[in-house]
Amino acid sequence: MRLLLALALAAALHAQPVYDLLIKNGHVIDPANKRDGQFDVAVIGNKIARVGTDLPASQARVVVEAGQYFVTPGLIDIHTHFDAQGADLNLNPDHNALRSGVTTAVDAGSSGWKNFENFKREVIDVSKVRLLAFLNIVGAGMYGPKVENDVNEMDPEAAARMARKYPEIIVGIKTAHFQPATWEAVDRAVKAAELSKTVVMVDFAPKPGRDYPDLILKHMRPGDIHTHFYGRLIPQLDAAKKIQPYMLEARKRGVMFDVGHGAGSFWFRIAVPAIQQGFLPDTISTDIHKSSVMLPRAYMITTMSKLLNIGMSLEQVIERSTVNPARVIHRPELGTLSEGAVADIAIIEMQKGSFGFLDSGHGKLIGDRNLRCVLTVRNGQVVWDTEGLSLTDWIKAGPYSNFK
Amino acid sequence: MAVLSGMMDAMPAILVLFLLASGLARAQTYDLLLKGGHLIDPANRIDTVMDIAVSGDKIALVAPSIPAAQAKKTVDLAGFYVTPGLIDLHAHVYGYGGSLFPDDTSLVAGTTTVVDAGGSGWRTFDDFKARVIDKSRTRVLVLINIVGWGMKGSKYEDNVEDMDSAATASKIKQNRPVIVGIKTAHFGGSGWTAIKRAVEAGRLSEVPVMVDDKIFTNSGRTSREKVLDVLRPGDMHTHMYNDRQLEVIDRFNGKVQPYMWEARKRGVLFDMGHGGGSFLWPVASKAMRQGFAPDTISTDLHSSSIMIQESDMPNCISKMMVLGMSLQDAIERSTVNPARAIHQFPEIGTAGAGKTADLAVFELRKGVFAFKDAWGKKRLGTQNLKCLLTVRGGKIVYDREGLGFPLWNTAGEYEVIP
Repeated sequence: MRLLLALALAAALHAQPVYDLLIKNGHVIDPANKRDGQFDVAVIGNKIARVGTDLPASQARVVVEAGQYFVTPGLIDIHTHFDAQGADLNLNPDHNALRSGVTTAVDAGSSGWKNFENFKREVIDVSKVRLLAFLNIVGAGMYGPKVENDVNEMDPEAAARMARKYPEIIVGIKTAHFQPATWEAVDRAVKAAELSKTVVMVDFAPKPGRDYPDLILKHMRPGDIHTHFYGRLIPQLDAAKKIQPYMLEARKRGVMFDVGHGAGSFWFRIAVPAIQQGFLPDTISTDIHKSSVMLPRAYMITTMSKLLNIGMSLEQVIERSTVNPARVIHRPELGTLSEGAVADIAIIEMQKGSFGFLDSGHGKLIGDRNLRCVLTVRNGQVVWDTEGLSLTDWIKAGPYSNFK
Repeated sequence: MAVLSGMMDAMPAILVLFLLASGLARAQTYDLLLKGGHLIDPANRIDTVMDIAVSGDKIALVAPSIPAAQAKKTVDLAGFYVTPGLIDLHAHVYGYGGSLFPDDTSLVAGTTTVVDAGGSGWRTFDDFKARVIDKSRTRVLVLINIVGWGMKGSKYEDNVEDMDSAATASKIKQNRPVIVGIKTAHFGGSGWTAIKRAVEAGRLSEVPVMVDDKIFTNSGRTSREKVLDVLRPGDMHTHMYNDRQLEVIDRFNGKVQPYMWEARKRGVLFDMGHGGGSFLWPVASKAMRQGFAPDTISTDLHSSSIMIQESDMPNCISKMMVLGMSLQDAIERSTVNPARAIHQFPEIGTAGAGKTADLAVFELRKGVFAFKDAWGKKRLGTQNLKCLLTVRGGKIVYDREGLGFPLWNTAGEYEVIP
């Protein structure tokens, strides 16, 4: 009798689900942990509980069969614009990030120290996607050329104070759109970053007396990020389309090169020869905003597809969209599927066929592979599941109605 | 003819040369040619392969074969469907807490006209116009909320003091044709004030009313029939498959309620308004099996409904196709029908020559696809409509596969290619 009871108890325990979510049989690519093969990923609460083989489906409340997909850490897009000026003027962060598999998005300087807290209250605090920020060195942020070209708006102390007040959100300082041919904007951004022990992201237009090599060899520090580096105003290639030696030198110094696709900064006529010569981006990012998403489709997953079709391997693409950006913004706990990490996960389909992609200049590249995010987990919750992989069929859902 | 030939005789050689030159120029008369697509234009009863030529922002010619040599840019659309730009009769692009900017959610879906359903009221419309309508590439039309402050939350939306029919009607008269009707929604109070004031404003300004009726058993609006009695022919009830609003299906016998048929006969229109709670498989299936289809297909797209799945116009059309509606029928209910409902036909909703060139190109994918209703319950279907390319005001604004653009390695040191 006692034996029987014990057996019944064991059976009951066995039937008890251990995992809240189990993603089975997917091809896991987790460069931080050097994993690249078929694994099951189990989630308890908001954490990754286990990554292993043959984790039993019976132990999970929800099972997602991912046999035909890739499973990666939630993607990190370090150049986005989900700013605070109201839903009518910018992109909705959750929709435009989560459906691309992006679970961490870094707003790149839309706000400065004067309006960051407004941005935090209205957007960051109410978004499901983890929103971090580069604080603009301009106090009022990207508020148009009048303030963005005004050196008096650039107060390194005030910016650093705000960055130190919110170290969990503000990962660095941004400088962008500065027209006068001086180094004021870059140097003040670097100063603010030194004071707040963060990194700088630079959007730069060379001018006479303000040369690009000086930027990446002298003014930026190792670990600082040059975004838009495949842009057409950046002299990264010589007339014969060869990578300039100062690019390699800057990379050796530790300057980071970020894609920042956008409506003007990703050109196949530049990116293809650069990548063929092995000059890959350290980080892949979108500069997503309401015009870059139209013809160029500067979504994270599409930007990754473009780089894949140019010739980067899938592993390289994932690495530069997860672990690399996490390290660049000094958040090494992100961008991994380590056991114990926050459960931010992307499930990605690699479609095969013929696919067209436009760059910022509307030049077309035809590729044979297309990446598409089918499911996104953020903080342990399924937040995007376009194929209904985590759901049962409506007919098995029993009678349901709004009428109670 | 005699006059003409007389003129020809008198014509100096230089003028003849000039005419010849312009004849050559006419070789490229059109700015854009959409070639070889299957045009579905229900308003003109076209459902066959047609070429469409665009000059400036207008459709210049629709004909079985227009030579590519006559166009500056030709897009080969063999194997795809072309339709008038879709009209989403129920969208949220202002005011409502979950509103989305129109272009990135509409133009990518083939929707060239969105109708904001009640985000603004007469007090906030000017702000809406300055901040969104005037800045969007999507054509934004407006159903103005009977509540002066618009969809600002229940504190505002339940306040009958702010439902001013005269002020609303006067705002409409000043802003035709942007404001095309009136919306009443979310009214949590008791009685009929919200709907009656909306209808009164509609009578004063001669525009239709769209009703979203939040019914509570203590609202004094216990009879759903009564909602339909106060609506005029041409007024619209949205969220038709939300069984808590209209109780479209009798819960006991599973039949479409007789008053629904009667209201339809009287000319009341029923709109889909998918949204986050108003398209449910059990309700929609039963209604469709009995032939109670939506007059107009619309999304009620907002920041949470868009996360269910891309619940945009092509997705809503695909869902109706799962329930047996033909593509042609669904396009009719997404173009000409909504245009008529807001009295904008034939300015929009058709692809006839002379009309503004708002066009959408779709692929109809075959396979097995999951479609999720407003409650996230999935149902499998075999056809999935996906937007491939959108033309708004004569310009290609979305082109997923780059069909309208050259290969990068044939374009030299290109700048932005128009």
